[in-house]
Amino acid sequence: MRGDPVRGHLDGLLLAALEDGPLHGYAIITAVQQRSAGTLELRTGTVYPALNRLERAGLLRSSWESVGERRRRCYALTDAGRRALADERTAWREFTSAIGSVLDPARAPRPAT
Amino acid sequence: MTARGPRAPRGPDSGADSGAAGASGAAPGPPARTAVDDHLAALDAALSGPARAKSRMLAEVRDGLADAAAAHTDAGAPTRADAAARAVRDFGTVEEVGPAFQRELTIVQARQTARIVALIVPFLMACWYLVGVTADDAGGRLPAPVHVLAANLGGLAALAALLAAGSLAATGAVSRRLATPRRLPLVVAWTGTTAAVALAVSALTLSAGAVLAQDWPVSALAGALTLVAHTRLAASARACRRCALLAR
Repeated sequence: MRGDPVRGHLDGLLLAALEDGPLHGYAIITAVQQRSAGTLELRTGTVYPALNRLERAGLLRSSWESVGERRRRCYALTDAGRRALADERTAWREFTSAIGSVLDPARAPRPAT
Repeated sequence: MTARGPRAPRGPDSGADSGAAGASGAAPGPPARTAVDDHLAALDAALSGPARAKSRMLAEVRDGLADAAAAHTDAGAPTRADAAARAVRDFGTVEEVGPAFQRELTIVQARQTARIVALIVPFLMACWYLVGVTADDAGGRLPAPVHVLAANLGGLAALAALLAAGSLAATGAVSRRLATPRRLPLVVAWTGTTAAVALAVSALTLSAGAVLAQDWPVSALAGALTLVAHTRLAASARACRRCALLAR
């Protein structure tokens, strides 16, 4: 899955990839790809500006750290970033549950009469 | 946003499909240029913005592409050039991803310009006020038109400072909830330009005032400070206009 459907959720995906700890840009990309078992393909060039934007909004903070022989820009979630991720999850669950109950009515919980 | 549209299918060994990627590599001396170097050069040429922010951004991309190329080598890419070409292909073309980078750089530039307006303009207004007070204390030697002009410029400068502070907020924490308007950098650019013109007129006024006023060193100093601020702000506003036009 690629292109527009992924783009709409890019911020949430990036925040989720950082939930377990700080990562640098390419590690974030591979984390998203691994978690989706290769189903989600990020155009890697879209990730870096998005990380910059999330940092500007105060959802991430970055620092240059030595990883191996190179210095790399590592990102970590801020408290506001954690809250944004929680909000994103809630919104996603509500959305999938609503769409699911329309597309697949047999499996939807029946409202009490 | 980035360009959409169908892309070529991406097989595991579709090889170099972008630019002069795999072709380089004949020179024996320094390490051959790879597709990564070419792509970084193309991105560098396409983007405009504050030098530090831009070089940080490009350094990060360079690291990311090097990591991606190394991963492709581990995954079995036959040559270094081939691995680099695959990393570049995954990254996206400058046409596809350039606009998102430029938008970020434009916002960085707009925030710099807004910061100058929001910090320097109130400081200078305080200076002008002091000049007015000292002149009045010294016997009210500043002529009435100078007072009227100063009041108008002060109003304009205050408005610019407020607008700049608002823009800083809109591109900072507020952007979590509200998408930053696309034209905001252009608004900041013209706010900065207007404030720069106001500062130039003020510098002239203060210089003229210095000739007339008894306490001329204060006016002259305020005029010189204003002129310095004008130069700095005018350059920043010009850079902001250029970035805003590029980001569209």
